[in-house]
Amino acid sequence: MTDVPLLEVRNLTRRYKLPRQSLLRRAPVLTALEGAAFSLRAGETLGVVGESGSGKSTLARLIMAFEAPDAGEVLFQGRDLHGLTTEELRKLRRGFQMVFQDPFGSLNPRRRIGWSIAEPLRANGETENITHRVAEALAQVGLHPADAGKYPHEFSGGQRQRIAIARAIITRPALLVADEAVSALDVSVQAQILNLLMDLQDDLGLGMVFISHDLAVVGSICDRVLVLQHGKTLESGAAVDVLRAPKHPYTKTLLKAAGVRP
Amino acid sequence: MIELTNLSAHFGEAAALRDANLVIERGDRLGIVGESGSGKTLLALCLMGMAPDSARLTGRLSIDGQDMASATERDWQRLRSRRVAMVFQEPMAALNPLRRVGDTVMEPMLLHDGLTRRAARARALSLFEEVGIPDPDQRLRQFPHEMSGGQRQRVLIALALACNPMLLIADEPTTALDANVALRITDLLQRLAQEREMALIFISHDLAAVARATQDIVVMYAGDMVERGPTAEVLSAPVHPYTKGLLGARPDAAVAGRDANGKRRRLPTIPGSVPPLHGLPEGCRFAGRCPVELPQCATQRPVFTQTDVGRGAACHLLTEAHHD
Repeated sequence: MTDVPLLEVRNLTRRYKLPRQSLLRRAPVLTALEGAAFSLRAGETLGVVGESGSGKSTLARLIMAFEAPDAGEVLFQGRDLHGLTTEELRKLRRGFQMVFQDPFGSLNPRRRIGWSIAEPLRANGETENITHRVAEALAQVGLHPADAGKYPHEFSGGQRQRIAIARAIITRPALLVADEAVSALDVSVQAQILNLLMDLQDDLGLGMVFISHDLAVVGSICDRVLVLQHGKTLESGAAVDVLRAPKHPYTKTLLKAAGVRP
Repeated sequence: MIELTNLSAHFGEAAALRDANLVIERGDRLGIVGESGSGKTLLALCLMGMAPDSARLTGRLSIDGQDMASATERDWQRLRSRRVAMVFQEPMAALNPLRRVGDTVMEPMLLHDGLTRRAARARALSLFEEVGIPDPDQRLRQFPHEMSGGQRQRVLIALALACNPMLLIADEPTTALDANVALRITDLLQRLAQEREMALIFISHDLAAVARATQDIVVMYAGDMVERGPTAEVLSAPVHPYTKGLLGARPDAAVAGRDANGKRRRLPTIPGSVPPLHGLPEGCRFAGRCPVELPQCATQRPVFTQTDVGRGAACHLLTEAHHD
């Protein structure tokens, strides 16, 4: 093992220009993320907590190199993703994959799920052993290899999220970015998917950035936590510390919302 | 005030709601929890006379002593908004984007209560104040897209209150909202029910929100009411294996993700998934997923057993215990 972290985010800032209010004035600028910084080792999970507008999805898009930051760096295995050529980035992409919130929206309803799961392989130009690797990925997420021939509507919400995870791990990535991956699921299904993610981390040594608005969920799966509000980092630290003794009033509110007993 | 006696809703042969029994009086705050497919929304739609046409209703649904199970749309129109009203989950979808919110809120007052525009406007203003919308005068003239999600939910609550209903049904009112906004909406609904002595049915999969807003709770599974009782008691000492499973599967912010040896702690789960409508088990509908199954569970439907006043569950384990 080297000392290079799996993922290092340094001083990451992203601003968006808003529509002009008037021809005579400059377009207002929204700072969606400001100075975010953390590092993540293999097998570790970082929870990113915040509400809509907090910048957590912006952070995810920057880590995934879907868009470029205005300042700062995203180092994946020591290489700055935003300083690479398109071709270099394309080759590196198999190493980091994303799981989205809505599995129904991210699976093509007219394609058998085996085709959707193999999509990242085709995008990387890989053509060998596709059937075998799809079967392997399906088995890893607790589905049957024969399920590859079915369509998305034949599965329940929880199973569809398993399919989305199978698609994310088929390239054998080192890093998984999960954006509200269990938020749309029922409590009992949510627990099954969280356990699956933990199993995969133990088996494959995956590092994970886990984005959620639910502090209880984050506490159950994350080693460290980053709390965002309006793009700024309010607090960060070991999950145990942040959840037991939150420093910021906003974190306390989130914790209150996550408790069963008032 | 409202009484359900063995109310069932069948789609073809399958009972999506089975023998629901419920008594609601003024000022009651009742939570209904359950996962997708539990029948909780269908139950709410039955109370609003809005169950899908394909659903065949049996049993008794009485509102103000009048049996509404086979009532016509005309009968329902007289009750809706004035006796029972509902707040839906998605505030953006439930408001007409082309109408000013004030006009939307005033519509039922003009329609049902025969108010003049001026009187309706005055009532809308006071409602906006009551539900905590700042600058109500200005807000009445706004369109839904000019408001935040929390404000829109408040508008929907004002709309539901427009004709002073005696029962307000809120179906997942906080699901689409951010945590601190959700807390405030939950508290608002509770306060409104108390101040107006109005009954509140709070439907949610969010146990934390239900715990905050309600006195009593009904747990539903696959169309059955499996457990009920005072909210605090059911959540702290659940009896039905499904309720136990549901509470256990919920991540607890106070439990660390790793144990003392640094191993990741797995969450307790309920194996399998909710059975589809066309494949419901013959006996107890939780059979096959239940960790403590008895021989009779697969074939015999458990009866609802009362363990205390207003407290009980439908589970063979309870009747077994009595035989011992």
